[in-house]
Amino acid sequence: MTTLTRQDLNFGQGREAGPAGPGAGASGPAGFLERATGLCPPAVVADVLCEFLEVAVHLILYVREVYPVGIFQKRKKYNVPVQMSCHPELNQYIQDTLHCVKPLLEKNDVEKVVVVILDKEHRPVEKFVFEITQPPLLSISSDSLLSHVEQLLRAFILKISVCDAVLDHNPPGCTFTVLVHTREAATRNMEKIQVIK
Amino acid sequence: MADQLYLENIDEFVTDQNKIVTYKWLSYTLGVHVNQAKQMLYDYVERKRKENSGAQLHVTYLVSGSLIQNGHSCHKVAVVREGKLEAVKSKLAVTASIHVYSIQKAMLKDSGPLFNTDYDILKSNLQNCSKFSAIQCAAAVPRAPAESSSSSKKFEQSHLHMSSETQANNELTTNGHGPPASKQVSQQPKGIMGMFASKAAAKTQETNKETKTEAKEVTNASAAGNKAPGKGNMMSNFFGKAAMNKFKVNLDSEQAVKEEKIVEQPTVSVTEPKLATPAGLKKSSKKAEPVKVLQKEKKRGKRVALSDDETKETENMRKKRRRIKLPESDSSEDEVFPDSPGAYEAESPSPPPPPSPPLEPVPKTEPEPPSVKSSSGENKRKRKRVLKSKTYLDGEGCIVTEKVYESESCTDSEEELNMKTSSVHRPPAMTVKKEPREERKGPKKGTAALGKANRQVSITGFFQRK
Repeated sequence: MTTLTRQDLNFGQGREAGPAGPGAGASGPAGFLERATGLCPPAVVADVLCEFLEVAVHLILYVREVYPVGIFQKRKKYNVPVQMSCHPELNQYIQDTLHCVKPLLEKNDVEKVVVVILDKEHRPVEKFVFEITQPPLLSISSDSLLSHVEQLLRAFILKISVCDAVLDHNPPGCTFTVLVHTREAATRNMEKIQVIK
Repeated sequence: MADQLYLENIDEFVTDQNKIVTYKWLSYTLGVHVNQAKQMLYDYVERKRKENSGAQLHVTYLVSGSLIQNGHSCHKVAVVREGKLEAVKSKLAVTASIHVYSIQKAMLKDSGPLFNTDYDILKSNLQNCSKFSAIQCAAAVPRAPAESSSSSKKFEQSHLHMSSETQANNELTTNGHGPPASKQVSQQPKGIMGMFASKAAAKTQETNKETKTEAKEVTNASAAGNKAPGKGNMMSNFFGKAAMNKFKVNLDSEQAVKEEKIVEQPTVSVTEPKLATPAGLKKSSKKAEPVKVLQKEKKRGKRVALSDDETKETENMRKKRRRIKLPESDSSEDEVFPDSPGAYEAESPSPPPPPSPPLEPVPKTEPEPPSVKSSSGENKRKRKRVLKSKTYLDGEGCIVTEKVYESESCTDSEEELNMKTSSVHRPPAMTVKKEPREERKGPKKGTAALGKANRQVSITGFFQRK
């Protein structure tokens, strides 16, 4: 089971999160961090995560042979080659799914995203779980943070590529689905919104 | 003692951590020369196989040697899976070197993870990347930063120039005289890809990928670099231009990383005209878009049938863009659009491409006198299609503003019309249909709205005389 830690890029802003942390320490870096936080709002974090999840789903479908390899094409992400599908309906399905997940990611309501591989009888055969948690505030510059995140996401891609070693072959005729587990508060908020409507 | 240590290290990496251990990665990790790393890997494989013949180990080898193809002699360097090793060796006239490239537990489906493995460790050791390497050149000294920036600009320009030249010349070789590739075309992927990517470029590139993955040859990408701009035209609508630019740049960097020879496809010339025309058409059709934004293309039965899914995709994208633009337009203005069937024919990029001049007159024909409608050919009065916005109260009590087309007579007659659109005759009880309907419907039940529309037409018709 892999853990994807949602990097909170709103570091050093000194908002409601009590003492500002690195921002309060020194005056020089604080100014830079406050300017830099403008670059990394929650929307950016959600974008990065959604892009990564899209690549990961495509790669899982390729590696686990859910679809024939002929529909996949080598593309580049995070400076390494990845396999992405060319099938328009499949791509649209994945994009639509992640489009729905994005607002939940922005509000940090997502606990985990699970890609489940089902056999012909719709019984789950495999699950790829991406746990999303909020870490403590970080104190590094945004440039190195982004390249660090890219490096970690590359490592994810590599791990997915070699998952064959620990998994058995799937039966033919498998399908997949994406499950999103939200935190409890999210369900209540969504119910509230429904009632108001 | 030291022997045991490195064997244990490799065992830990491969078996416990499930890593891909390439010789390059191992040499950086253990701080040994690459040749020693290769030897270590070989030793490990031998011992492991002796101890446990059922060990789950997949090994890839790097094979290089000279090959005679179509009378040409060329040097081939390939990374191959163990199963294909003998086959590739037998094809080479002279085998210059074979060594273990990587060891991993998982069966890799393509060569991407091998590159991924080396990427990070190489990046972190960029300053001393040749420290453990067997490739040395005393004359290779780092440049001063000022020199390097000016030279990189020159390189980019020359490279772009070269890639466009080579596309035109259809030359896909390094060293000047390589043989065309031996195609190992698998029919199944071609059939699948043919279903939704019917462009020949996509197919050739796909088969090229298949040959690469089958033989696990990591080939050099100057030809692939030629394909990338072509690919960018087609696939940019799917994946976004940023991804395509990165793809182009990465192919260039891959050339530097894997110094290997091209094995190439000769059919790029066939794809060139096809690639050029869709690109050209897309540009011209995009210019016509602002004019067409408010035209309801679904009404037109004259749409040329789209030949493949990709054009459908581009049409969907354009339709999507049109929908987004629609609410932004000023609803208070009435706009007149003359009939322009030629524009729709030009819009679909199916070969042979219709000439682009039909698109240009579209924006210019607005001030021209409106054309006579085919259905009202018998009617001597000229009718023009007018975009009107109708505001009314629907069943739910909401005020709805709709843009609809009506044909109105230029002579401004009172007899309204066979040409009324459906919004006028929508009784309040019905659900509101927001999308515009077919243009030419028979006259519906006259309601108060109809009379209102009559009055509106007569009032606004006054202002339209230009």
